Amino acid sequence: MGSISTAAQAGAEFGFALLWAIAIATLILAVLAEMAGRIATISKRSIAAAVRDRFGIHFQIVPLGAELAIDLLLLTAELGGAAIAVKMLTGVGFQWWILPVGILVWLVLWLGNFTVIEDGVGLLGLITLSFVVAAWRVNPDMRTVAAGFVPSIPNHDLTRYAFLSVSIVGATVSPYLLNFYSSGAIEEKWTEPDLWINRMTTFLGMGFGSVVAIGVLVTAAVVLGPRHMKVETYEQAALKFVPVYGRWAVTLFALSLGVGCLGAAIEITLNAGYVLAQSFGWSWGADRKRRDAARFTAAFTLVLLLAMGIAVIGFDPLQVTLISAALTVVIMPIVVLPFLVLMNDQRYVGRHTSGPLGNGVLAALTIAGAIMALVVIPLEIFGG
Amino acid sequence: MDVCRDLLDKPLVDRNGREMGRVDGVLIEQPAGEPPRLAEIVAGPSALAERLHPTLGRLMARLESMWRLSGKRPVRIAMSDVLHIDRHVKIARTIAETGADEVEKRVRSLVTKIPGA
Repeated sequence: MGSISTAAQAGAEFGFALLWAIAIATLILAVLAEMAGRIATISKRSIAAAVRDRFGIHFQIVPLGAELAIDLLLLTAELGGAAIAVKMLTGVGFQWWILPVGILVWLVLWLGNFTVIEDGVGLLGLITLSFVVAAWRVNPDMRTVAAGFVPSIPNHDLTRYAFLSVSIVGATVSPYLLNFYSSGAIEEKWTEPDLWINRMTTFLGMGFGSVVAIGVLVTAAVVLGPRHMKVETYEQAALKFVPVYGRWAVTLFALSLGVGCLGAAIEITLNAGYVLAQSFGWSWGADRKRRDAARFTAAFTLVLLLAMGIAVIGFDPLQVTLISAALTVVIMPIVVLPFLVLMNDQRYVGRHTSGPLGNGVLAALTIAGAIMALVVIPLEIFGG
Repeated sequence: MDVCRDLLDKPLVDRNGREMGRVDGVLIEQPAGEPPRLAEIVAGPSALAERLHPTLGRLMARLESMWRLSGKRPVRIAMSDVLHIDRHVKIARTIAETGADEVEKRVRSLVTKIPGA
């Protein structure tokens, strides 16, 4: 949901000018996810487990606490987003839908195994291709679209532009995705010969998310931009579908938003269980009977209940998404730094250590992450 | 062996390979006139919290006693019971013998009340 909302805001306010931010954020996510998958495949440790093993609790407590806080905020936002989608379809206030959405998330996790959960979320996510179709049908000028992939300085609202570019990175490179992905590699029992699947999945899978976000930005730029309409609510975001889908616009937007949010909520809830169980050495796994991983089950259930409680109070999901994106950027250096060490430690990646290019990218990411972490709070205040 | 690198924070498994938590602390003793030696591994929330801050450790120990966890907390395992140390620290006893499954059992008794567990 974070990617959709930040892309819609970027398109409405700055046309195609922030497409480069989506491209860079996707590349960062794909590089880190590929490394997370490599560490998990070779060492049989998820990122949370590897960080506890390698750096100890005194270091790990910081990224662990931050990741749980961000997971909670994101989960609140995703539950809220799914509930708003049902509200758009039914007209009944979104707070009434938090409980049913939360129960649905829990039932999927209670009854499904990892394959059902992962494939189900992936298949349902295909509906978000409606954003891509919409972008195609609004017929954007392809030359201007291509120019958007080159970073440029805007001629107005530089602070807002910088804020949105950092928010796009924060909304895309969520720490939960890295741990969820590495846990999935262990759930699916990947071994060294599966490293090519890891590479394909990260670059194609993360690329799919990027194409959807690009679709959202392009549609918002063509439909909302010229009308000077900003995106401050999901109802406003749905308007960009009207020229393409006519009277079906709101329904299709609501379905895409609802399914996207529901899938993310399922993955974030499961990841909260993963992170806690892996950090403290409990038995875990979506393929295990729930009674055989009782603390893991209780952990994801409690995190879900907590998020439902916060969502019912009525925080604006869009604002919560932007705050969690900013927090993601703040902790980015401590998320990326362990990769630099783990990817050069043969006990974790065997002979698949990082080369000079990989290390250079990680070092650059750590420095860029530190700079973004320093500027994101002032940007949140002045540009958010 | 480097205690910090090879032992602390590593996953702990029983002789059947069941997860028992992690090595949350170690006990080092120094008999009179002898060099210090690694005596025991400790595991459990209070041991972990103690490492982070003594006040947190006391708070967690109080919670453990309020929850009436049976057996000695934190769980202590003699180094002589350690079978080998690699990716995991494997011990020669079962999880039930150490009492490290006490919390999991308590939570399981709640989880199994839900149909389909």
